Amino acid sequence: MNAWMHRRLGLLLLAVALAFGAGAAQAHPHVWITASSELIYAPDGSITGVRHAWTFDDMFSTYALQGLETKTKGVYSREELAPLAQTNVESLKEFGFFTFAKADGKKAKFQEPVDYFLEYKDAALTLHFTLPLITPVRPRQLALEVFDPEFFIDFTYADKDPVRLVGAPAACQMKFQRPSDGAANAQQIGEQNFLSGGNSNFGAMFANKILVDCP
Amino acid sequence: MPRCRLRFGLALCLAAAFVVLTFDSTVHAVMAQTPFGGPRPSGAEPQLGGIVGWLLAKQSEFYRQMSSTIRAAKSDGSAVWTLLAISFAYGIFHAAGPGHGKAVISSYLVANQETARRGIVLSFASALMQSLVAVVIVGICAWLLNATAKTMCSAETVVEIASYALIAAFGARLVWTKGGGFVRALQARQPTPALALAAHPHHDHAHGHDHSHAPFDPLHSHAQEAAHHAPADRPDRHGHDHGQEHGQEQGQEQGHVHDEHCGHCHGPVPSELGGAGGWRRGFSAIFAVGVRPCSGAILVLVFALAQGLFWAGVAATFVMGLGTAITVAAIAVVAVSAKDLARRLSGASEGGGTLVMRGIEFGAAGLVLLFGLGLLFGYVAAERVTCF
Repeated sequence: MNAWMHRRLGLLLLAVALAFGAGAAQAHPHVWITASSELIYAPDGSITGVRHAWTFDDMFSTYALQGLETKTKGVYSREELAPLAQTNVESLKEFGFFTFAKADGKKAKFQEPVDYFLEYKDAALTLHFTLPLITPVRPRQLALEVFDPEFFIDFTYADKDPVRLVGAPAACQMKFQRPSDGAANAQQIGEQNFLSGGNSNFGAMFANKILVDCP
Repeated sequence: MPRCRLRFGLALCLAAAFVVLTFDSTVHAVMAQTPFGGPRPSGAEPQLGGIVGWLLAKQSEFYRQMSSTIRAAKSDGSAVWTLLAISFAYGIFHAAGPGHGKAVISSYLVANQETARRGIVLSFASALMQSLVAVVIVGICAWLLNATAKTMCSAETVVEIASYALIAAFGARLVWTKGGGFVRALQARQPTPALALAAHPHHDHAHGHDHSHAPFDPLHSHAQEAAHHAPADRPDRHGHDHGQEHGQEQGQEQGHVHDEHCGHCHGPVPSELGGAGGWRRGFSAIFAVGVRPCSGAILVLVFALAQGLFWAGVAATFVMGLGTAITVAAIAVVAVSAKDLARRLSGASEGGGTLVMRGIEFGAAGLVLLFGLGLLFGYVAAERVTCF
C-alpha cells in the first residue's frame, strides 16, 4: 500500500461516510403526534413525574385500530382500547417513551408508566400515560425534552396549554421552546447533519424543550 | 465516440451535482453558525434552504396530504387522480430516505461491474416488488383475515429480519467472490512495478510482457468467462489488439485511450444483460432488497382499506413504487458512472488500474455485507416498522 492507495481508500471511506450521513439526514416522520404534558409536583415541591397526552394523526390512528372488534362500529370504549394501550406503552418502553429529563444537568430516570389508557375522539386516538420518576427530584433547573431521535415520529405540542405545571411552588418559572416551524427546521437538519455525520441524536433538532427554574 | 463523450460528460455532471449538493449544505452549516461568531437570530431564517431540507419538508407535506385525499376520494372520484399524483411525488422524494435498497443496489452494481442499464432495471424491479409485498401483507392480514395492527406488525418484522439476513448473506457471497479477485489482483501486482517503469519508454515491449503474463494470470480466465468484462478488466489487453492493427497509423497514446473507452461504451448490451448468470444474481439482489415493504405504503394501504377504498390504496402504492424506482435508479446510475470515472482515472496508471478496480469492487461487496449486518443488528438506520 503506497501513499496513492491510501488516498484512494480515504476517498472511498469519505464516500461511505457521506452515504450514511445523507441517509440519516433524510429520515422523515411517518407518525405525527400532537402532545401536551403536565409536570406533577409533590406537596414538598419536588417533581414526581410527567403526565403525557399524545394524540396520533388520523392515518396512524386508523392503522392502530385495524382489526379491533367493537360492539358498535366506529365507537371505541376505553375498555375495548385497553389491550391496544397496553401494547402502546410496552412498545414505547424501547424508545424511553421519547421523554428525556435532566435535573440540574443530571439525567433523571423514569419508572414504568402508570394510569395509561386510550381515548378515541374525532377519528383520532389519544394515549394518556404518566411516567413517574424513579426518585422524585427537586432541582434548581429541570430540563425535559420530548422527541424521537430517529424522527420517525414528529412531536408537535398543542397550541393551547402545551405544558402545565401541576402543584408547583409559586416561585417556579416554566419556559417552553418548540422546534421552530417545519420548513426552517427541516432546513437545519439538512445542514447540521451533513457536518455531524452520525444519526444517533439526529431528532434532537426536533426536540420540544421544557425548562423549569425553581429558585 | 460522440456517445462516449456524452457518457463522460454525464458522469462529470453528476459528480459535479453531488459536489454542489454537499458544498451547499456545508456552506449553510457554516453560515448558520458563524455570521459574526454568534448564532444567527432565529427569526431571520431565510427560506432558501439546504436542498436536503427542502426534500424533507416536501415529502412530509406530500405524505400528510395523502390521508385527506383518500378521505376526499370517498365522495369525489376525481380526488383519486390527486392521490396518484401525490403518491408519485412522494415516492420520488421518499426514496432518498433510509431503506429502499439504494445503498444495497448501488453497492451491488459497483461490486459486479454492472451496467447502468441493468441498474435501472434492477431498481424498478425491486421497487415493484416492495409495492407488491406491501399490498400482499395488507391484503392478506388486514383485508382477508382482519388481523390487528399488532399481528400485521409482527408479520412485517419477520419479513424485515428475513430481508436483512438475505442482504447479509448476499453480501457475504459477494465478498467471497470479489475477495478472490482482489487477492489475485494483489498477487498479479507484485511484478508490475518493474513492468510499469518499462512501459513508458518501450510501449510495444510492455505489451509483449503483458501478453506473456496473461496465460498465468488467473484474472485472464476470469475475464474470458464473462466476455463483457474483458474491455473493463484489461483495457490494456483490449487496446493491444487494436494497437497491432493500427499501430503504424496511430502509435500515439491518444489512440489507445479512445479505443478503450469506445470498447466499453459500445459494449454488446444485449449479451451483457444475458451474461454469466447475471440476471440470476441480479434477481437475488432484488429479492433481498424488495422483500421488505415500506412502512409508509403499509399505513396508506390500511388507511385506504378502512375508508373502503382499498383499490385506491393499491394504486397509490404502485405509483409510489414507480416514483421510488426513479430515485433509486438515478442513484444507481450515479454509482455506476462514478465507478466508470474511477476506472478511467486509474486506467491511466497501467498496472495499478486493475488492482484499484478490484479493490473498489471488493470494498463495495464488503459494503453490502456491512449494510446487511448493520440493518440486522440495528446499527444502520432503517425505516422503523410501525409497531406501537
